[in-house]
Amino acid sequence: MTMNRRDFLKVTGASSGSLVLALSLAGCAGVRAGYEEEEGSWRPDAWLELTTDNNVYFTLARVEMGQGTYTGLTTLVAEELEVEPASITPKFAPVAPEYRNPLYKLQLTGGSTSLATSWEPLRQAGAHAREMLILAAAKVWGVDHRECTAMDGQVRHPNGVDALAYGKLVQLASGEVVRHEVALKPPSQWRYIGRDRGRLDAEAKSTGTAEYGIDVELPDMVYAVVTRPPRHGGRVQSFNGADIEGMPGVLDVLEIERGVAIVASKYWQARKAQQQLKVEWDNTDALDLSTDDVFAHYHRAADEDAGERERNDGSFTGAAESAERVVEASYEQPYLAHATLEPMNATAWYRGNTMEVWAPTQAPDLGRIAAARVSDLSPSDVTINTTFLGGGFGRRLTQDYIEEAAAVAYRVKQPVKVIWSREEDTRHDLFRPAMLHRMKASVSGNQVTGWHHQVVGPQILDWYVRNAAPAQYPWSPKFLYDTLGRVGLMAEGIATPKDMSAIEGAVDYPYEVANVEIRHTHTDPGVPITWWRSVGYSHNGFAAETFMDELAHETGNDPYDFRRGLLKDQPRHLAVLDRVAAIADWRAGAPAGRARGLALFQSFGTYVAQVIEASIENGEIRIHRVWCAVDCGQVVNPAIVRDQIEGGIIFGLTAALHGEITLENGAVQQSNFHDYALMRNYELPSVEVDVVDSTEPPTGVGEPGVPPVLPALGNALFALTGKRQRTLPLKSAAG
Amino acid sequence: MALNLTVNGEHKTLEIDPDTPLLWVIRDELGLKGTKFGCGAGLCGACTVHLEGQPVRSCSTPVEMASGKSITTIEGLGSPGRLHPLQKAWIEHGVPQCGYCQSGQIMSAAHLLDYNPTPARDEIVAAMSGNLCRCGTYSRIIAAVESVVADTDVTVSGQKGA
Repeated sequence: MTMNRRDFLKVTGASSGSLVLALSLAGCAGVRAGYEEEEGSWRPDAWLELTTDNNVYFTLARVEMGQGTYTGLTTLVAEELEVEPASITPKFAPVAPEYRNPLYKLQLTGGSTSLATSWEPLRQAGAHAREMLILAAAKVWGVDHRECTAMDGQVRHPNGVDALAYGKLVQLASGEVVRHEVALKPPSQWRYIGRDRGRLDAEAKSTGTAEYGIDVELPDMVYAVVTRPPRHGGRVQSFNGADIEGMPGVLDVLEIERGVAIVASKYWQARKAQQQLKVEWDNTDALDLSTDDVFAHYHRAADEDAGERERNDGSFTGAAESAERVVEASYEQPYLAHATLEPMNATAWYRGNTMEVWAPTQAPDLGRIAAARVSDLSPSDVTINTTFLGGGFGRRLTQDYIEEAAAVAYRVKQPVKVIWSREEDTRHDLFRPAMLHRMKASVSGNQVTGWHHQVVGPQILDWYVRNAAPAQYPWSPKFLYDTLGRVGLMAEGIATPKDMSAIEGAVDYPYEVANVEIRHTHTDPGVPITWWRSVGYSHNGFAAETFMDELAHETGNDPYDFRRGLLKDQPRHLAVLDRVAAIADWRAGAPAGRARGLALFQSFGTYVAQVIEASIENGEIRIHRVWCAVDCGQVVNPAIVRDQIEGGIIFGLTAALHGEITLENGAVQQSNFHDYALMRNYELPSVEVDVVDSTEPPTGVGEPGVPPVLPALGNALFALTGKRQRTLPLKSAAG
Repeated sequence: MALNLTVNGEHKTLEIDPDTPLLWVIRDELGLKGTKFGCGAGLCGACTVHLEGQPVRSCSTPVEMASGKSITTIEGLGSPGRLHPLQKAWIEHGVPQCGYCQSGQIMSAAHLLDYNPTPARDEIVAAMSGNLCRCGTYSRIIAAVESVVADTDVTVSGQKGA
């Protein structure tokens, strides 16, 4: 899709002498299946403000949760505006339709989309502002604007001597109209894009001065903790409120939709009081299953319902009938928690006819709906202030923590901060869904003739639409919210994007096999779920790339050669595969006592191949080395790309080694880092990330490092032990 | 109960429940928000501060145990414009991603270098393994600490040569 500059750039007028530019990050990337762009109104997504005192403010519509938007998006503007990125002050955006993510029609940060959707428009905005400043300077000097240049926050006179700082020009510039096309700088002239430069938030985050949600401080602020039902769906029946009310510091004890809240002057007073709280739960509608039941349920569903056919090339049935043999395997993958290091928290202040919320959120407009739901306010009465996020990984797309803070604030009418304990954060997370994958392949000789992948499990949109649908129509009356939620689900694939969360990565099976059938048996055991770094790709990657390894073994092929032979029409897959084989020296193999595994996976438009070398020492899986080749198109900040990919590798290894949330009679059994462990520094392998030089448009890097890790490690352990692991987390004593 | 603390060199007298974890006193009573709450059980290290020069998990240290003692937080280690060498290294190496664990990481590293200015790599890894990072910045953390050690090495050998 091409875009006309005039479609997304507008000078919104000067305020207090500033030059204010608005721009619209209209979606350039495609969205699947019948998702129509909103017609008509022109909506800017971000603002750029240049002031007379040489400050540049950039409103950042995508939140910063570690993935680097604060640096990456600012760099795009800086490059074309010809200013040092560090001289720009990014500001987190308030809620406004203008800041919606064009791919989702919601103001959310996720799906590794921020850079891809900002790449053209932010550079255009910077270039446009630069051109206006040049036009203004040319007028001042009475010279041809084409002879002037901009550099380091100044416009330079053709005489090479005189220069005018941007601040002196902004008032004049705001009256300029750019009537000609403004060319973007050619890559050869880039000074910031593609260079290894620091992160703009590094100093604040190394000195303890970056403000996260949990750090928000307001006058007369009080603290609240919430006791939630141990089993999802449980409701408060009764509680010993009278015993709690007299405890030191306690200001209020109240029932809210999500449990019982205790409000106290200090956080620790609320926690101490909570230890004395006794709640009787009505478990009529509460979850009552255990992890084994979930998988039994999936297997039953898979037997009874072959599921929707999501892709069909040729005829797998025909291929299976004529094949020498059919290989089958099924893979079970557990629920996973997000474990952001900053626990869920939010601060809210209800002032009669407005509410202000401060929160680390990936979806501020959904936060507004959540706050409106539990108060007498409309979404437009609610202001959401987004802070730095101490990790997101998809968890903070769901606004349950804002809902709680708003519900308490509505009652206490003074600023209140709700903080979750780590135990609460783990138990009341919404999880990466547990999934079952049933794989079949038809094989004749050493050739694979058919591939059949049945994905069994829930879809995330079913859980998300409750607040997402009303957020798309924030003017709708509140009594319609639930209806909108239901309509939102019915409209899936028509008015809203098709929910790919279960099948993404399965339907884009890249290998050249004549007969491919991908099915999804949609079944939901009722355990709360949401997006989790790389989402469906995380479990489909493990299933597909482990099964590919099984087939390589089955057909007597080397895992690298086997994949290579099936990628003739997939140049970007092939390139990263060849590259990782080269940097790992795949043919040389592993030293004695160790083994290597390989995996290749594309997600979010980014191609990643990995080789992992592992051993088992003293009964523990030990990961020695990880080699990784990445093609994410044009690189804006090489250091951030490497960091995000390496971070994704560690995130994936954490899941492969430790990640498992289990349920017993509806209650989550894990609680803190002793039983939901994260990888520690001493477990770290040596990681080598090689990024392909590319001039293709940039794609996301926050998530794509994750999916290949799990199968690559599992495949290494198979090579080591000869025992195939078909469940996660991986075990040192397989079988 | 009135408690006396010396925090980043400043004397403080507080009226506070003595079993309140030091973390919440530092954050909410003294307004020093750089020290973070991660797990409340001493498992993640985000709340690491120095108590009489020793690293402690402030989330599970009752404030009465710090009574009459001196505490250093990330704010006391250094600040923008007056950076500790480790903070400089953290910025140069672009260590932080979400950044939430980094105050604790830096406080652990600072203690390591206080008692062992030239640790070997495996000593650094061991010393830093008590601090969790969900974003996976571990290799950058090691590189940043090593860079400070290398500078120290130069200084030490320079002095020896002098």
